[in-house]
Amino acid sequence: MSREHTLKLPLARADVERLEVGDMVLLDGHVTMTIGLPTHQRMVEHLDAGRPLPVDLAGGAFMHLSCFNRERADGSGPEALYLNPTTSTRYNAHMPRLIEGCGLRLVGGKGGLDAASVAAMQRQGCAYLSFLGGGCTLLAQAIRSVVSVHWADYIAQFRLVTLDVAALGPATVAIDAHGNSVYARLRADAEQRLPEIVRGMGGAG
Amino acid sequence: MPITSEQIKAVTADLYEWSLKKVPDDTQLALRNAGARERSSVGAKTLAIMLKSADAAERSGGLVCSDVGIPVYSIKVGTRVRFDGPVRQAIVDGFALLAARIDPPILQMVTNPLTHERSHSGKDIPIVSFDLVDDADYVDITCAPKAMGTGRWEAIETFVYPSLEAIERYVLDSVVKAGSQACPPMVVGVGIGGTFDHAARIAKEAVLRPFGQTNPEPVLERMEQRLLAAINELGFGPMGTGGDTTAMAVHINYSGSHGFVPVAVSLNCWINRRTRARIHGDGRVERIE
Repeated sequence: MSREHTLKLPLARADVERLEVGDMVLLDGHVTMTIGLPTHQRMVEHLDAGRPLPVDLAGGAFMHLSCFNRERADGSGPEALYLNPTTSTRYNAHMPRLIEGCGLRLVGGKGGLDAASVAAMQRQGCAYLSFLGGGCTLLAQAIRSVVSVHWADYIAQFRLVTLDVAALGPATVAIDAHGNSVYARLRADAEQRLPEIVRGMGGAG
Repeated sequence: MPITSEQIKAVTADLYEWSLKKVPDDTQLALRNAGARERSSVGAKTLAIMLKSADAAERSGGLVCSDVGIPVYSIKVGTRVRFDGPVRQAIVDGFALLAARIDPPILQMVTNPLTHERSHSGKDIPIVSFDLVDDADYVDITCAPKAMGTGRWEAIETFVYPSLEAIERYVLDSVVKAGSQACPPMVVGVGIGGTFDHAARIAKEAVLRPFGQTNPEPVLERMEQRLLAAINELGFGPMGTGGDTTAMAVHINYSGSHGFVPVAVSLNCWINRRTRARIHGDGRVERIE
């Protein structure tokens, strides 16, 4: 049965270990995001070289959310207008390193992550949240302020952006911290049932 | 009275903005109906959030999705129409106008495939296809911005004398490959026959068909129904987190072919971007959807 939680960041391991696949969550606090592949590469390079990232992500949330951000015209700092998830699977290659290297408690976006990431999440104590693709205006209502924007040499959505949010979501727990992935389960079920579904179509004509 | 470049430019810009800010009415209705049938509690909640998101964007003039895609227009030109001024350039200018004026501003999505540089313009952008309508005194412009969520999963394969079962299996395999990643519930458009390029084009036209219309060929009408039922048995559900609603519609088009038969599968995500306007020969602009 789907339960509902409000999670206040940063989180301890026990906070995410009680999440189950199918639970719905709202997030409060600092959430860091990017949808840049080069950004992921740069983050991994920092970890490999032992250089600190510009944002401390320990216990934090790192999401594949695309954020429109820019400097305010009056020079008073950055603003964020909206955010929305993108497909996480294209970052599969970098995510195990980032999940464990940064000490993440929550990752997310939409569409899920592969088995290597699920294993890293289980070791680390981290869950994956599915946000609504096409949730731009709805999700934007959660923006309280911009905490930081790093790596402004990238286009807006590729920068490393940290927002302070209130009730960001609802998002669905799609991979829990115990190795359960709704994506892996649904794909395995679909592939297994496909021959039976095809037979049930009763032949063409 | 000829149709002017200024009219085409204005309609090009308007259509794109409408596409980004409104989920079509038939699509919102389909989501609502699916919500009433959906047996998964997560699936039903997700469908409800989708409707809330569509409503929030429409009421506030916000974007439904941050991936505004790349601009794609398909244009049907009535053969009685006269143009005063450039047409292709007017479409390029129309998208540039939209990118400069839209509020909220949009992210850069047009990507040079060789360098990965991003901007709001690029070689052959907007992507435009033209067709003719004999004796008509109007121009129909359809706008369907194409984003990453589904664009990555569209597929084409060429078969030799395929059975209908083989075609259906290819469509199902393509949907399974996209799985949870293409923001379901999707609209699945299938193009059977013609040539490689033509199959893709009629698949795309099938995606853009309004809901409730079926292919007039009984064999394809039945295939549409069978495939829709089969896809919704796969279980991926809304946003791919489980449920009965993986597709809202399956639309199929076909064309005469050779022994080689290309089969194309085009996909739209749940927000189903699709807008149309007609510029009449007398200068009136009519928003069709």
